[in-house]
This record gives sequence, structure tokens and C-alpha cells, in this order.
Amino acid sequence: MPLVYPNMILSEVVAEHTSLIPVLNRLGIRLGLGDESVKAVCEAHQLDTDFLLMILNTYLNEEYFPEKKLQSFHTSQIIDYLTKTNQYYERFQLPNITRHLNSFIAMNPEGNYSLAVIGKFFAEFKNELIKRIQNDQKNWFPYCLSLSRQDLSRQISQTNDFSTGIRPEADDPIEALLSDIKRIMIKHITGDYDENLCYAVLFSISSLEKDIKQHNRIRYRILVPMITAMEQLNK
Amino acid sequence: MHSNKHIAIILPDTLQCLGLQHLLSEYFPPLDITSYQSAETFTSDKNHESYDYYFTCAEIWVNNMDFFLPRKSKTLLILNQQPIINKTASIYQIASNDSLELMIEQIELLFENDTNTIQSGENNKGLSAREIDVLQLIVKGSTNKEIADKLNISLNTVLTHRKNITSKLGIKTVSGLTFYAIMNGYISGDEIEL
Repeated sequence: MPLVYPNMILSEVVAEHTSLIPVLNRLGIRLGLGDESVKAVCEAHQLDTDFLLMILNTYLNEEYFPEKKLQSFHTSQIIDYLTKTNQYYERFQLPNITRHLNSFIAMNPEGNYSLAVIGKFFAEFKNELIKRIQNDQKNWFPYCLSLSRQDLSRQISQTNDFSTGIRPEADDPIEALLSDIKRIMIKHITGDYDENLCYAVLFSISSLEKDIKQHNRIRYRILVPMITAMEQLNK
Repeated sequence: MHSNKHIAIILPDTLQCLGLQHLLSEYFPPLDITSYQSAETFTSDKNHESYDYYFTCAEIWVNNMDFFLPRKSKTLLILNQQPIINKTASIYQIASNDSLELMIEQIELLFENDTNTIQSGENNKGLSAREIDVLQLIVKGSTNKEIADKLNISLNTVLTHRKNITSKLGIKTVSGLTFYAIMNGYISGDEIEL
């Protein structure tokens, strides 16, 4: 069920759900929201209210995912949002986790080896995510956009690797790695470590995880079916 | 995750079904819930026998007695009003107009009573010596076939070990297993490429 509606006061929504702040930021909405309604804020920022609400509601509520409605948006809107989430991961969330992780590993008087191992594991995850983001920006998103423009003159060779896009949602390697990092920290960490820094790392990893889950739901359940349908049409 | 109870809800009434789902996920998480609108869609699911618990209505229960009777201790009936069936039938049941408290009580009874409930802690047991052998080979990059050959066991046994390792540790990816193995000294950090 949706939690946010057009007539609600956006500042009140945000006060209730502070996790929406980065989502609003990436759409160009900054704090200092005053008493404007969601609709008014969207109009002031020239954003599609329906689209913004869909993004906020699917972000807040994992159960809420109206596929038909989402597929009625334009491919470019979906890609624009996924691009913005990618940028947010690359510019803010990954550096933020790295910063916490570095202090977590550094604050280690007894030379606890397992902290360094966690650091290495995260570095591996980070590489995977950056690889996927780069492939999105260089290959897959441009391909999707050219399809949606019916730009048949720009034939893209079929040898391009779009496997990152067409994998079934349940097997997403990025999500699997993140969940394993969390699991290793929560279930298997040993030796001495700083509790507060550990929580800071886990908190930032969990918020990235939540974001990536929404990204992946849109990616696999909306964008991929859209693209597959367009490919069929073009055949 | 692996330890979640698997629940099947077979109810034609959409509101009842949604209400029950909400109640279960609100008060008894974590659960894996699958819902079916009719007995037909339910029985045509090839996994329909593998659920831990079944929630259904009296009509479906009666029409599929052969299935539900042997699973009496795992089934809860959702009735439209206070039960007419006498309680001695020892069937777990709630009625749509019961109080929330009463419903929760009944569901608790159902979950407590069943011996199939996964005991917490069961998954926390350490790895067996054989599982550690398999883990060491997985993280060195061996294929299942190679592991089977090296340890002189069947491919199926390798798969079972892998499944158990993942469910005991809660770790799914090879990378995750690798770092787990290094952290626990099952393999030295230099043995594999980091």
C-alpha cells in the first residue's frame, strides 16, 4: 500500500521517514521544504508527481510494487532514476561506508585479523558494484535508450555483454554479496572490535542494501521486461 | 532465510487472505508466505506438500480432507464466524470476528505445538570436518566435480554439503565463503588471490 499521497505535506512525510532524504536529494529536492505539499514541490521542481510518488512509495514499502503502473512510465524516466541511484552509490554511499570501515579497521588495538578480512571483502563488493555501474553507463543504459527511441540506425552489436541486466532478480550477485558481508559481521565476527564503529559500518551497509534492493526491483521487474518487449517489436 | 517457517495460505477471500498475511508478518516474522486463491492453484503447485503450515477455510479443508487430515497439526482454519464445529475436533481455528488477541493466541498454539518447528540454534552448529574439507576446496575454486573426485564422494553428496554449509553459515556467495574461511583459519590468506 502506498504511504505517501500528493496532498501530503512533504516536510511531514520526511520527518516521519528520514530515509527518504537521499532519495529526494538525488531527484533534486533539497531540505528546507516548508509546508508545501508533495504535488507543489514536484511542480516547483518540474518533476512528474506520479513518478516521484511511485519512487517514494516503492522505496518505503517493499511489498508495494505496482508493476503495471511502473511500466507505464517512459523508459527514459526509469533509466534516469536508475542512473541517479548509481551516481549516489558511487559518489556518496560507497565512500561513506569506506570511511566508516577504515576507522573500524584502524581502531584495532589487538590486531584483530578478522576486521581486515571484512575490509577486503567489502573492497571486492565495491569493485563488483562499480563494474556494474560502469557497464550500465557505457553499454546497457545507452542501448535501452536507443531502443526506446526506435533508433534502429544505431545498431549495437549483439556481442555486447548485457548479462548484468537480464539476470533473474533472485540471483543478483550484488545483493548476495552485500547480504553475505552483513552476515559475516553479524554472525561470525570474532575477537575485539569497536562496537560503535561496527554499528556505523553495518548501518551504512544496510542503508545501501535497502537502496540497492529498490534499484534491483525496478531494474529486473520494470526495465528488463520493457527492453525485452521492445526487442521483440524490433525483430 | 533458511530457518523461516514456510506458510501456505489457501483462501478464496482476498480480504481474509491479505488480513491474515498482514497479521502473520506483523506478529510472527520472519515467515515465507505464499498465498493461493483456490485449492486448484494450490494443489497444482508441485511444492504444495512441503510447507510447514497451512491456513485455509473450512470449505477447502473439507473438500481436500485427504490432504489436510494428516496435516491437522500444521493447519489452521479460518472461519467466517464463531466456530460451529465443536472444539474437541482439535483443529486449530480462528474466526474472522475473533478478537486480535484470541487470533494471536491460536496461531501461537499452532506454531508451538508442531514438532517440525526448526529449533533455533540448530543452524548455528559448527561445520563438520567433512564440510570444512568441502569448504576449503570451494574457496580454492574447485568445481563440484573436482571436489567429488578429490574427496571420493558422489556429486550429490557434494551438493548436500554445499547446501548445509550455506544454511549453517548463512553465507551464499563463494566470495563470502572465502572470507569466512580466511577469518576462521580454514585457509590462509596467501593461498588464494585476494
